[in-house]
Amino acid sequence: MQASHAVAVLLDDDLLALNRVIGVVRRRNLPVTGLRIGPGEPAGVLRFSCFVQTDDGNAERLLRQLEKAHGVRHVEVLPVSHPSEAVL
Amino acid sequence: MSEILTGAQILCRELMAAGVDVMFGYPGGAIMPFYHALPEYPGLRHVLVRHEQAAAHAADGYARASGRLGVCVATSGPGATNLVTGLATAHMDSSPVLAITGQVSRPMIGRDAFQETDIIGLTLPITKYNHLVQDVSELADRFREAVSIAQHGRPGPVLLDVPKDVQNQRAAYTPPDAGRAAPAALSPLEQAVRDAAALIDHAERPLLMIGHGVILGDAYREVRALAEKTGIPVITTLLGISAFPESHPLHLGMPGMHGEVHVNRAIQHADLIVGIGLRFDDRVTGNTAAFAPRAKIVHVELDRAEIGKNVPVAVGLVGDAREVTARLVAAVAPRNCDPWLSEIRGFVRPRVESFSGDLSPEAILASICEMTAGQCTIVTDVGQHQMWVAKHYPYQRPNTHITSGGLGTMGFAVPAAMGVHLARPGELVWAISGDGGFQMNMAELATMVQEGLTVKMAIFNNGYLGMVRQWQQFFHEKRYSSTPIWSPDYVKLADAYGIAGWRVETRAQLDDVVQRANAVPGPALVEFVIAQEANVYPMIPPGGSLSEPIEAQPAATPAD
Repeated sequence: MQASHAVAVLLDDDLLALNRVIGVVRRRNLPVTGLRIGPGEPAGVLRFSCFVQTDDGNAERLLRQLEKAHGVRHVEVLPVSHPSEAVL
Repeated sequence: MSEILTGAQILCRELMAAGVDVMFGYPGGAIMPFYHALPEYPGLRHVLVRHEQAAAHAADGYARASGRLGVCVATSGPGATNLVTGLATAHMDSSPVLAITGQVSRPMIGRDAFQETDIIGLTLPITKYNHLVQDVSELADRFREAVSIAQHGRPGPVLLDVPKDVQNQRAAYTPPDAGRAAPAALSPLEQAVRDAAALIDHAERPLLMIGHGVILGDAYREVRALAEKTGIPVITTLLGISAFPESHPLHLGMPGMHGEVHVNRAIQHADLIVGIGLRFDDRVTGNTAAFAPRAKIVHVELDRAEIGKNVPVAVGLVGDAREVTARLVAAVAPRNCDPWLSEIRGFVRPRVESFSGDLSPEAILASICEMTAGQCTIVTDVGQHQMWVAKHYPYQRPNTHITSGGLGTMGFAVPAAMGVHLARPGELVWAISGDGGFQMNMAELATMVQEGLTVKMAIFNNGYLGMVRQWQQFFHEKRYSSTPIWSPDYVKLADAYGIAGWRVETRAQLDDVVQRANAVPGPALVEFVIAQEANVYPMIPPGGSLSEPIEAQPAATPAD
């Protein structure tokens, strides 16, 4: 399976916010690889990233749903030809 | 000036500060401190339901009818989980509901304590916001945040989970400032409005398709002004019904799976669809790949995530339906669509009644409308009767049709109607259900009696889970698996609760019984015995195109 889009989310450093983000991604029922969670900047911000295999339309819908989730500060969903090319 | 209060008292004070005067709930172990404090606040009326699901639906009905926050309360564990269907219903239909749940005390959380459940985890996907309050010091702030989120932007349900020991904790409490945070300003729309207006001005076969957002946004006048300035025919989705007068010459009807043939054909022939406050859900579009193949779509929607979600959009306008539509009214040129209207009139098929029996759903609805002079709010359940009401009831006044559209929750009508009654105590409210849906929440008859709630109930009894039976007839070789459903004697049931009840079996009885039900003080119940084989026509097969309806057979027989 080759990833088509990289997803990067900056969110509140809070379990509920993280749970909401994971819930949004899970609900789309898309193949997901390369999950990463780590500290972001500034302090109090968590960084969530992953790769998804989907078309541009679904990627756009995912972006907009993530932007709605309470606790999310910023979202980027970018097309990639291969996960190794992506910098999240 | 702050004072020392318990968490339970802070909840009550915050409810009052938020303008809440009625809530629906059911006490239990983990919420007992809140119920202990409640009698100190007589301005907060509590309606004791018979099941927490009904509390959530009643709060939802109250919110939809009043435009204010609906509130439901439950204890931890089963009390909280029973709210879930009601919260999911409110979430799908964008209804501002606050759920307050008790939780086991903090030292017990995570230890599988008695009546402990992770209601935060359970409700994450069906709330705009939820929060487990960790300490009384954050209670007021989290409450205000939850109320603000529920009501601002696209409305929706929120949940606050409050451990029992937090309800008993004491803290300094400062009432909120009088001024609440204002909604965010609209983003610049000038170019998008100009683009949309240009499409409207040049379209030859345009349609206005309006949804729940017009009701939520109180955009009735603006939508009517847009329609009348441009002459564009108007289609109302299931949740958009009553947002535009049914008798208006530009009103066409409801689209989608059970929409009228001429409405769906108009969609398929349109070259422009201006959708306002709707989300183009699959019951409206059918197969999206075949939906409105010739049309460009202008989509006005408060929730940016809805634009382009289900159908491709030429111009998206993110904003409040009233403000954006007002801008469109100012931007478009006066015109008419007379040739297009004539073409649509050519699509109209003669209406065939649902079946050939004496007591048709259409006749029942006509009687309810006539005997109330159209001055009542109709709350429907889910199933065949819901579609008959949507198609045949002649709504003239805004926001007088309330139903579970997105989630399609059977059992919604009776408890939601209790909330509608409390939001509009001076108006008649009819809850219309099938025999299946009514039996899901009929325990609320006791709530109506105890609380003096004037709800008139109509049961369309055909002895089947009718819509499922209809699908079995059309798509499952008439294998009526588990759809025949037995009912109690509803007249005796009403009598057992001390409620006036009637059974109507012929058209000749109709007007008299409906009139008597309206006249009797308090709740009343009328069972309408309709034919088992009554179907909803036309019907687009699931996943099918709007161009391929199943239409009524002139002479359906019981053997069908």
